[in-house]
Amino acid sequence: MSAPDPIAAPDSTTTPDPIAPDQITVEVIGNAIASIAEEMGETLIRASYSTNIKERRDCSTVLFDAAGRTLYQAEHIPIHLGSLMGVVEEVVKRHPVETIVEGDLFIGNDAYTGGGTHLPDIVFASPVFYEGALVGWATNLAHHADFVDRGHKHIFQEGLRIPPIRLHRAGVLQQDMMDLILLNCQVPRERLADFRAQIAANQFGIQRFQALCNRYGMPLLSQVFDALLDYAERRMRAGIAAIPDGVYSFQDIFEGDEQPEPLIFKIKVKVTGETIHLDFAGNPPQVQAGLNIVHTALLATVYYAVKTIADPDAPPNAGLFRPITVSAPEASIVNASAPAAVNGRTNTCQRVVDLVLGALAQAVPERVVAACNGAVVAATFSGVNPRTGAYYVYLETLGGGFGARASKDGLDGVQAHITNTSNLPIEGLEPEYPLVVERYELVRDSGGPGKWRGGMALRRQIKAVDHDCWVTVRGSRLSTAPWGLFGGHEGGRYRVEANPAAPALVGGQGDLVSGRSITITTPGSGGYGSPGDREPSLVFRDLAEDRISEAIARNMYGFEPS
Amino acid sequence: MAFRIGVDSGGTFTDVCLLDETTGRVSVWKLPSTPNDPSIAIAGGTREILSRFGGDDSSEVSFFGHGTTVATNALIQGRGARTGLVTNQGFRDLLELARQRRPHLYDLQADKPPALVPRDRRHEVAARIHFDGRVERAPDAEEVRAVARVLGEQGVTSVAVCFLYSFLNPDHEKMVAKVLEEELNESRRLNEERGAAVFITCSHQVCPEFREYERLSTTVVNAFLGPVMRGYLENLIPRLTEAGVQVKPHITQSNGGTITFEAAADQPVRTILSGPSTGVVGALETARMVGIEDLITFDMGGTSTDVALIEGGRPGATTQAEVHGYPIKVPMIDLQTVGAGGGSIAYVDSGGFLKVGPDSAGAEPGPVCYGLGNEQPTVTDANVVMGVLDPVELLGGRMAIDRDRAFAAIEELGAKIGLGPMQTAAGIIQVVTANMARAIRLISVQRGHDPRDYCLVPFGGGGPAHAGHLARELAMRRILVPRNPGILCAIGLLLTDLSHDFSLTRRARLEEASIAAIRAALARLKADAEFWFAAEGVAPERRALSSTVDMRYAGQNHELNVAVPDIDDDAAFLRALAENFGDVHCRRYGYVAPEEPVELITFRLRASGLVDKPEFPTGADAGSDPSAALVGYRQVYMPETRAFAEPSVYDRERLLPGNRIEGPAVIVQFDSTTLVLKGQNAVVDRYFNMLLSEGERQ
Repeated sequence: MSAPDPIAAPDSTTTPDPIAPDQITVEVIGNAIASIAEEMGETLIRASYSTNIKERRDCSTVLFDAAGRTLYQAEHIPIHLGSLMGVVEEVVKRHPVETIVEGDLFIGNDAYTGGGTHLPDIVFASPVFYEGALVGWATNLAHHADFVDRGHKHIFQEGLRIPPIRLHRAGVLQQDMMDLILLNCQVPRERLADFRAQIAANQFGIQRFQALCNRYGMPLLSQVFDALLDYAERRMRAGIAAIPDGVYSFQDIFEGDEQPEPLIFKIKVKVTGETIHLDFAGNPPQVQAGLNIVHTALLATVYYAVKTIADPDAPPNAGLFRPITVSAPEASIVNASAPAAVNGRTNTCQRVVDLVLGALAQAVPERVVAACNGAVVAATFSGVNPRTGAYYVYLETLGGGFGARASKDGLDGVQAHITNTSNLPIEGLEPEYPLVVERYELVRDSGGPGKWRGGMALRRQIKAVDHDCWVTVRGSRLSTAPWGLFGGHEGGRYRVEANPAAPALVGGQGDLVSGRSITITTPGSGGYGSPGDREPSLVFRDLAEDRISEAIARNMYGFEPS
Repeated sequence: MAFRIGVDSGGTFTDVCLLDETTGRVSVWKLPSTPNDPSIAIAGGTREILSRFGGDDSSEVSFFGHGTTVATNALIQGRGARTGLVTNQGFRDLLELARQRRPHLYDLQADKPPALVPRDRRHEVAARIHFDGRVERAPDAEEVRAVARVLGEQGVTSVAVCFLYSFLNPDHEKMVAKVLEEELNESRRLNEERGAAVFITCSHQVCPEFREYERLSTTVVNAFLGPVMRGYLENLIPRLTEAGVQVKPHITQSNGGTITFEAAADQPVRTILSGPSTGVVGALETARMVGIEDLITFDMGGTSTDVALIEGGRPGATTQAEVHGYPIKVPMIDLQTVGAGGGSIAYVDSGGFLKVGPDSAGAEPGPVCYGLGNEQPTVTDANVVMGVLDPVELLGGRMAIDRDRAFAAIEELGAKIGLGPMQTAAGIIQVVTANMARAIRLISVQRGHDPRDYCLVPFGGGGPAHAGHLARELAMRRILVPRNPGILCAIGLLLTDLSHDFSLTRRARLEEASIAAIRAALARLKADAEFWFAAEGVAPERRALSSTVDMRYAGQNHELNVAVPDIDDDAAFLRALAENFGDVHCRRYGYVAPEEPVELITFRLRASGLVDKPEFPTGADAGSDPSAALVGYRQVYMPETRAFAEPSVYDRERLLPGNRIEGPAVIVQFDSTTLVLKGQNAVVDRYFNMLLSEGERQ
């Protein structure tokens, strides 16, 4: 072990503890931790095979300390923290720490025993050893476009459940495990290649983590990890303290393809000084559909929502969780118990974020946004590719409107809140799948009118070519719309249409026959402030750019074309 | 007598360099830039340097090279052309949708960069080509003509044309461009209307590669900059001629080579990194003179720092980067830029941590110590307070320094976190060092290179003062400080080869059956290069070609760039290519998958017209004693000991080859200061560069 860098030497004049790291050292090491996690993510994306990872970047990486505390989550997908947060805990629960050795690699996905939040998110967790001791964990998660065409009455229908088990034992691949997992996958060649990329990402993380230990020594690093968490905590506390104390309530209606019957979602947010408590009492019991959220997913969602309000730039580590507490009834849709189905939980999570922001709008109107798309509209196309004879699965989640803000319009056509996946380029999609993208565009009049206009929805139209395929489209905001704030109006709704006009999908599922297409229109988002207060030049611009129709310009904004 | 001239036109200064080809003598001239019309300072400086150092006959300028930030600035400031777009039906919003990701994961107030073409100027045409190049529907000429007329009414001065799969089949783009040319330009010429022609640019010419959004973005940026660059060059050329430059002038592009003004006017997007890439070439050639081919360049200016890695004398290259939020896919030196420079502002954030940048005090009002109104301490203020920079004056007396004011500002900042002023100043330097080290890790460690194997080459105004700390942070043991770090970019222009990158996407499996297709793709690129050599008038003995190919496992979408072996035997060629790919994949990702098929995607060829590298003047060994250059002593705060020391101060102009200086020491020159830390020593080489090495650590 080498001595700490003299530049980063302890500051003996201000701290009595001879080895306490100064804040500069903490920041330098914090940078190094961040870059390890970011680079693991790049390795995973670049080496993978499936479009959902290599182009859509539906994956995340996190480094943990030996105690399983989050040190840094790379900036990919907020909800993934829910799966990664639980995994180290679950690994250690199942495998006593003293049985874990260097070169072990754990794989898991189960929402109830694997620390996961839904089965397609397969987690790889690698212990990091330094000088014989377990010092941390390199973990990553990738969403595998597999386990399709399933039922969602309970989790057993949703795919292979994997508790945290060893895929590598002391550096040796457990081929039996791999064979078992691959046999349960519908596109095994992709899975195998993606698993290799996930393993490569963790290997990279382990090497870099060990290099850090070598440079600074574990005694100093442990203190730095504490200091990094304390720092994030301080920032969050400062941000929360700036929210006026009080209890803020909000409620909203949830419905969608899987849940035609409307449900009432509610929240009570209590802000006391530097702390915040989110109470989900009174939410519906868990449902027989893939819409249930497990506890870690609820936490990841809430942490995201509070961070956006308290301090968007606080480092994404476990320190930011500390001032936040959550209570939710057991076996409810927001805190599910086994064996509730969870596959489409992101639609529910998006609405939890809306609830938090809706409640806090009363306290900090300048920091919130009106309702975003309120859904993660997911479309899955599967079938046999006539060009190759092989089974394929194409998964895409579509963004939509991002709610209007206190001093500006919302964002048009983006991924909102708990996800941030990319689209699949058309020139990347069509060579791989027997499908043609016919349109990909913004939707006029979908941005809720207001002093500040809500972000616009998007529309994607896809045609099946030379084969019939099975399509599943899942979303929310079919019969309700994203709400506006302070006089702002609601945004556009979600719908799926078949072309030429044919019976729409039933419950979001059905066959798409060769030569036909479906059009998916995602929800827009709410406006902010009364439309009457909108700057006329902005109304004129939106009209000139065909973002709003003449009818909306006239009826909502009182605009008279001269 | 023949002279070569290099001009680097920056925001604050315009640096002019003149090389006498017969004697190898280099003369430099620095004058304030003229931001409203940069050509005034460029031509003025050229005239000045020729009359001062160019003898009587100024007409013998054999080369004129220019590095410019015109394109970058127009993009940052959104001051490009009024641009239109023509694309496939159903896809006009792609420019805004981009990759559907939002700009910041947690910041609800963040915005996307504004679309360079507003929605009403984005026009659709019913046409479609499929992934295999098959045409489903060709554009209808009348429909295109109607679009052209609307664009005319909308008053556009530039149009981007981008259709799906144009990299496979450019027919639709060509047809649309032809109609636009007829409607927007030919009729105008027939009517003898005045005004510049509308700039029309197609995606298959700018970026013939897959992923429609990145191609579209690159094409639109090119269109946005086209008329700006054209206007700039049209203004500059007559002024240069007047100043005595008769040769075809050249401009640096982002890949570190130069192109003609005509080429730059067609593809201004290729000059986005013109300025910084010139510095990389200057550093590379300076290091090469003394036999160093593995280096990391460190160009620290007022608001930002650029770093690049050079291995075996070749800069790392990339074909995609995001510049001010806009993806651009053209060959570029793999530069990392961080918002950390001399003017970067230090502050304490809400969690009580000291932070530096990216906000900058710029050149005006500049650091607190300039006394021009800024009260927030900057990196330069920290250096002034610590005594690294002269606490009285800078730039040879052109800039008076108010140390007390800087001290007060830093003291106030430190009080917020319970640190004394000197510790705070040292902390600012440590934080900014960490920021810069992170950028270097991205171009080294992340690409599989160990920074300890490289020599750090600092330049720009601030590089040499920070290089010592930065090298220690990264455990780099050698630092080469060029003779004129402040004007290395202009010097680089004298050393830059003419070059052009050709590429061709042709997907093929790495197997025997593909050999004809692979050879054909390489031959096609070579033919293009030969044509270009002829057009540029590059003599046969000055031509150089190097080819690479982007490869991946069939199934991946991100390629790795692999050298193409020069082997005639087909089987051996394929084996060598497979081995090269395996090596690169293993180095980058740590594994190979031997049973998996491998694909070749994009073939690349760089054609270079080599220029004579001048032999810079050398000096005879004057012995190790530097005392003739000693100008005094200065109180400098040393973070390592948390105390002031009184190191020697040397005048760089008076240091001679062989002189050896033990740290701590400060070496001053007109526009740069080198700090040699305790434990480091500096030796002046025969070209008057200084090589700093780490001695035995105590």
